[in-house]
Amino acid sequence: MRIPAFLALTIPLFLGVSCHESERSISATETRELTLFDQKYPGNIKDHPPMEWRRIPGTQMRVFNYVAGPDDSVQIFMGDSSKGGVLPNANRWLGQFGKEEAAGVEDFERIEVLERETFLVEVQGDFGGGMGQEAKKDQALLGFLRETGGQLLTLKMTGPAEAVAVERQRFLDYAKSLEIVAPQLLPEPDTKPES
Amino acid sequence: MSASKSAKRPKSLGRKIFDVLAGYHIAVICFVLLFLLTFYGTIEQSWIGLYQAIEKYFDIDSFLVIPRNSSDKVIGPPLPGAYWVIVVLSINMFLGGIIRIRKGWKKAGVLVTHFAILFMLISGAVESLGKKEGMMLVFQGEKSDYAQSYHDETIEVFAYDENGDRTAPVVVSSEELGSLKESDTLTVSAEELPFEMKVTGYLGASEMRMSANAPGAGKVVDGFALNAVERDKTEEMNMAGCYVSIIKDGAEVQELLLWSANQQPVSFNVSGTRYGILLTKKVWPMPFEVELHKTVGEYYPGTRKPSWFQSDITKVADGDRTDYEIVMNDPMRHGGFTLFQARWDEPEGRPYSGFAIVKNPSDRWPEYAIYVAAISMGLHFIFMLGLYVLRSSRPSKKTAS
Repeated sequence: MRIPAFLALTIPLFLGVSCHESERSISATETRELTLFDQKYPGNIKDHPPMEWRRIPGTQMRVFNYVAGPDDSVQIFMGDSSKGGVLPNANRWLGQFGKEEAAGVEDFERIEVLERETFLVEVQGDFGGGMGQEAKKDQALLGFLRETGGQLLTLKMTGPAEAVAVERQRFLDYAKSLEIVAPQLLPEPDTKPES
Repeated sequence: MSASKSAKRPKSLGRKIFDVLAGYHIAVICFVLLFLLTFYGTIEQSWIGLYQAIEKYFDIDSFLVIPRNSSDKVIGPPLPGAYWVIVVLSINMFLGGIIRIRKGWKKAGVLVTHFAILFMLISGAVESLGKKEGMMLVFQGEKSDYAQSYHDETIEVFAYDENGDRTAPVVVSSEELGSLKESDTLTVSAEELPFEMKVTGYLGASEMRMSANAPGAGKVVDGFALNAVERDKTEEMNMAGCYVSIIKDGAEVQELLLWSANQQPVSFNVSGTRYGILLTKKVWPMPFEVELHKTVGEYYPGTRKPSWFQSDITKVADGDRTDYEIVMNDPMRHGGFTLFQARWDEPEGRPYSGFAIVKNPSDRWPEYAIYVAAISMGLHFIFMLGLYVLRSSRPSKKTAS
């Protein structure tokens, strides 16, 4: 008597009925207060992209990754590396367009980025392919190389020559607007002079 | 005479139900079921990982459990979910161990012990429903004011202000996302946003690959595609991914791909405003900041597993600064939050501490329950011993005559 009564009382508790809807609409009502999570910038570099650019997922080599122009045909991406210096990398870029290598960094225009002199590389022509990309005609590249302590920071814009020309000034403004912002860093402890 | 009369009197239906619910049968069945659930849960945990096993066997949403092995073959009988077995056991203990038990001084200790055990079971339920936990990672020389969930994925959407700073994000909760399957569609609107978001292709464990490197992969957005991967046993290693369409006035403005390993947002424009969106482990703001001044640790020889670690921190709350030395098993407590160091590592010479942060409304209830149970059992034992000694020392009537 007791066992059937027990089963009658408890079995309904354990029978879950699965109702799964494949299409649902909800209204999100939750918001979150701002924290240091919202001020985390890759490499502590805060950027100010123009409205015409759209940020897409980054990769290890492209910590900042944007597209712009017709059909998102222009790519703008920033990465850092410890491989090579300014000149070998600038010449590699020139080589991808079949251009002659530069003799020295003096051949490049200079702009100030992140409070340091950087070298601007500008090249136009047929892209010969490389880095997983196909060869393309009438392309252009605009980029800077900034070296500090063996680390090389590069910002590069590539795409159809016409579209790159439209984005040229925005690129230069963007490069100059980069700033170091690191609110998570503690101030250096005061070093008391030894008596 | 009166006893035999009452024994013959038929019991009412209510009394019969009460007797069943308060009886030993249910208690014994519950204990057997809990043993089986723990047994199969422990075995299955080795195949599906601890988090998945706890979800499957002990979660409030788990009503029926079918133990399976790594090949998905059934290895045991269907069992009720442990949460609900404990609910039944609690009801049984309340009715049998508190309502039905004979009251009096002799049983006072037992009664209080039952209360304490029931309290312990209730504290488990409160923990299951109200506990929040996350991890705060802080590098030496830095500070943090937030933790992130180990498992719960959320979508955060926010507008950028004129300085390029983020405004407070709207959050699509982990409860909504966690129940999504790859074929599901979730349409999200919010008062703060002038557009709708359509979430599709949600994968709980995924990898993002450049489409050029992944021929034949799924849908390609912005040159990237998501691939489903086998779920890692360590749940926090699983990275979710999904596609989001931004819809304004019924038309698609932008299609985006989100992957939770990408901690930087992707962006889109609507009505002249730039918005950012990211899929991320739930961000949990803290009412205090932790400044990590120094963290030290050691690895077990030949491994990257730390054998011990220690952190010198300052907690900053409402302008008050308090220094702490956090060592293993010695947590810091603040306003219902418990913070203890759970990780330490030194990648590329940059040491960091991982602080597990727990907010549990029933944090110390089991501890108090154990104290109460131990004291009441002790008093009961002393009382019964005293009673026995008293009776033994009295000369019996037979001996006296």
